[in-house]
Amino acid sequence: MLVKKTKENRFIYVDPRRCLGCRNCELACATAYADCDLQTAVTKGLQLQPRNSVVQVDDMVMPIQCRQCEDAPCALACPTGAIYQEDGFVKINEGSCVGCKVCAMVCPFGAIIITQDINDNGNRRTKKAKARKCDLCFSRQDSDEVSCACVEACPTKAIMLVDYESYRKKIIEERGKELARAHSKTKVGWK
Amino acid sequence: MSNMKTSIDPAVNYLLPLAQKAGIETAWDRFEAMKPQCGFGELGICCRICWKGPCRIDPFGNGPQKGICGADADTIVARNLARMIAAGAAAHAEHGHHVALTLLEIGEGHALPYKIKEEKKLRNIAERLNLNPEGKDIKQVAKEVALASLEDFSRQKSSIPCNWAKETLTASRVEKLVELGVMPHNIHATIAEIMHRTHVGCDADAVNILLGGLKGALADYTGMYLSTELSDVLFGIPEPVVTAANLGVLKEDAVNIAVHGHNPLLSEIVCDLAIKMNEEAKKAGAKEGINIVGICCTGNEVMMRRGIPLATNYLSQELALVTGAVDAIVVDVQCIMPSLAALKECFHTEVITTMPGNKIPGATHLEFSEETALENAAKIIKLAIDAYKRRDRSKVNIPDYKETAIVGFSAEAVLAALSKVNPEDPLKPLIDNIVNGNILGIALFAGCNNLRVTQDHNFTTIAKELARNNVLMLATGCGAGAFAKHGLMTQEATEAYAGDSLKEVLTVIGEAAGLNGPLPLVLHMGSCVDNTRAVNLAVAVANKLGVDLDKLPVVASAPEAMAEKAVAIGTWAVTLGLPTHLGIVPQVIGSPLVTEVLTEKIKDLVGGYFMVETDPKKAAVKLVAAIKERREGLGI
Ligand code: SF4
Ligand code: SF4
Ligand code: SF4
Ligand code: SF4
Repeated sequence: MLVKKTKENRFIYVDPRRCLGCRNCELACATAYADCDLQTAVTKGLQLQPRNSVVQVDDMVMPIQCRQCEDAPCALACPTGAIYQEDGFVKINEGSCVGCKVCAMVCPFGAIIITQDINDNGNRRTKKAKARKCDLCFSRQDSDEVSCACVEACPTKAIMLVDYESYRKKIIEERGKELARAHSKTKVGWK
Repeated sequence: MSNMKTSIDPAVNYLLPLAQKAGIETAWDRFEAMKPQCGFGELGICCRICWKGPCRIDPFGNGPQKGICGADADTIVARNLARMIAAGAAAHAEHGHHVALTLLEIGEGHALPYKIKEEKKLRNIAERLNLNPEGKDIKQVAKEVALASLEDFSRQKSSIPCNWAKETLTASRVEKLVELGVMPHNIHATIAEIMHRTHVGCDADAVNILLGGLKGALADYTGMYLSTELSDVLFGIPEPVVTAANLGVLKEDAVNIAVHGHNPLLSEIVCDLAIKMNEEAKKAGAKEGINIVGICCTGNEVMMRRGIPLATNYLSQELALVTGAVDAIVVDVQCIMPSLAALKECFHTEVITTMPGNKIPGATHLEFSEETALENAAKIIKLAIDAYKRRDRSKVNIPDYKETAIVGFSAEAVLAALSKVNPEDPLKPLIDNIVNGNILGIALFAGCNNLRVTQDHNFTTIAKELARNNVLMLATGCGAGAFAKHGLMTQEATEAYAGDSLKEVLTVIGEAAGLNGPLPLVLHMGSCVDNTRAVNLAVAVANKLGVDLDKLPVVASAPEAMAEKAVAIGTWAVTLGLPTHLGIVPQVIGSPLVTEVLTEKIKDLVGGYFMVETDPKKAAVKLVAAIKERREGLGI
């Protein structure tokens, strides 16, 4: 049987040493999903809900967002199939989401946020809360070129969109170089 | 939110959990919610001076290194700092201007509820300002002093220095400052000048902007100095008085009125009237009548002059209301958290704003003016009594914490105490003890609390270390509040913490002054506007020794600094020649140039410099080292 080779998902890579905690990425993410600019969103009083969140641990600051897990626990747990894998993204179809919060419980990174859409008046039967998470800006991609709002917005380039394959290749090269250097220093030859 | 990190004040640690349980939000909660704070702002490298911005410089060197107009990190940091100094100077200038105008009104014979309490001091001031008061009617003297002070806000000739700056510093310092071009001729003009030169497209040379900042800081000094001295003329020179501090000073069976802010013009009248309206409060059911307490520097003002207890300092102002026992909080200007008005929702407290330029949504505004001060105060007290009737007893939680505090050490009071030791030459005992090393040096602690550090912890830790090293300590503002709350303004604290030789000196002076024991460990010199009282003493010592201020073993420290006023004060302390410690990293480190100038290069210009150290123990070591370096310089 022929096994079809699939590419692993891309993900957002963060360098916490560079992150200043300005939350620009949060703002960019939120306005990207609100589908308008910051000023308009603020003057119209639109709900802004970033899919990432900048957290502080001691004196380190970094944004946390969906890791685009390959064996995504959220997708496995979702009883309605709202979260699913497609084209190298862990996608979410908010229309099928019932806000049951199972995905939020199983996500090891706390990357899923369940919120009500205040722009959409709820009725007494349902509050219409939905799961929201980073889908690498899939919903706003209009070309094949993936570009993430947060990555574009980061003033210190602390975050980038990483292709797993090339990331791994780079890591291997670096580690290889280190090992080679270590050996060249010890020089245990056969003579 | 762990209590370990919030405060070392037991009253705060008692009330915060109660507030949390009741769902009442405090500054500590909002600080948590604010995290992470923006790194650009912390580094001082974001510019919002024009609407092309905000511009931010990437401190890692990958992103933009210049703002849209081309301003680099050095320019942006220097501009931001100079603007903070201008804002601080403006705050003190308004305060001083207000007091000077009131003195003018009195001088011109307008019927005001104010009078001159200290004729002798007024005449002394007139002499210092070269106004030849001899034989003149006191009203005339008041008018002339007021006009000479107001001249410092209106002089057009830039070559003539401000009266109050020129006459209160050593001659050599004045000469140096004039030479550097940083001597202000007009307080308001200097503030305006900073605003101009930091406007988009103006001064871009960081060092030049900083020099403008030094001038602004000296304008701040001038406004503060005249503020303090003229307030003394109107309301009395502080003298040592025994009182108490911390929230335990609130009384269950009294109408509790907290006076908060900075300007004594209204609070003094409220205090006067409270005595007269005591019966009315009793009629309303308050067995103990009216109990006035202070918060922040208005609190320090009435504490120094009247022995009114201090409820708390800046950071815990909200918690005063959380006790449920404050019936009215009367606020004037500066350092008032707008959140007070929201707390009013949970309690019966009347939050009353009094100044036309300082309103808070949700608060009751009762506009104050000098002519109607008596009626305003009467109305305020009535509101408080009415509120008392609405007080919900089940919500009252007065923490059982208060400490004794001996306060009121104006320069005059210190000299009076010293003159009991040597009537002919009061400064001699002080100077002799500095020279022989019994007193290693003098440290002045200036105000503020800041959530970035555990409340009051830096103050008390450094003070205990300096005491051990025989450093004589003075304090003002919320720093003084911290020491008062933690029992460091007592004779017992001197016994417990002072090094042997310092203890001996404080005991000799205290005994001579009739205190039946030593002077307190830290001398309360007043509100933050009163930092100039310490300069008054230092200049007297310098003149007597025939050296300039930058040679004296005197240091300053703002270990929990926060306000723009503090930035201005710290900068003038440096400009006058003092090594000045900051316990909070200032928002300038995004520019290596500005950082280097403020901590090193400036030493060559003015003798003073900033030392930044967030660890209080290490800060104490650095302060002692700076004092020792000065002693070596003097050969003592
Ligand atoms: S949301 Fe959480 S569990 Fe789901 S793919 Fe992302 S990281 Fe994995
Ligand atoms: S990739 Fe898109 S959704 Fe995810 S954090 Fe960035 S902007 Fe937000
Ligand atoms: S833009 Fe960069 S520094 Fe700012 S919050 Fe995002 S990742 Fe952090
Ligand atoms: S003044 Fe210059 S650096 Fe500042 S906001 Fe305007 S363009 Fe940006």
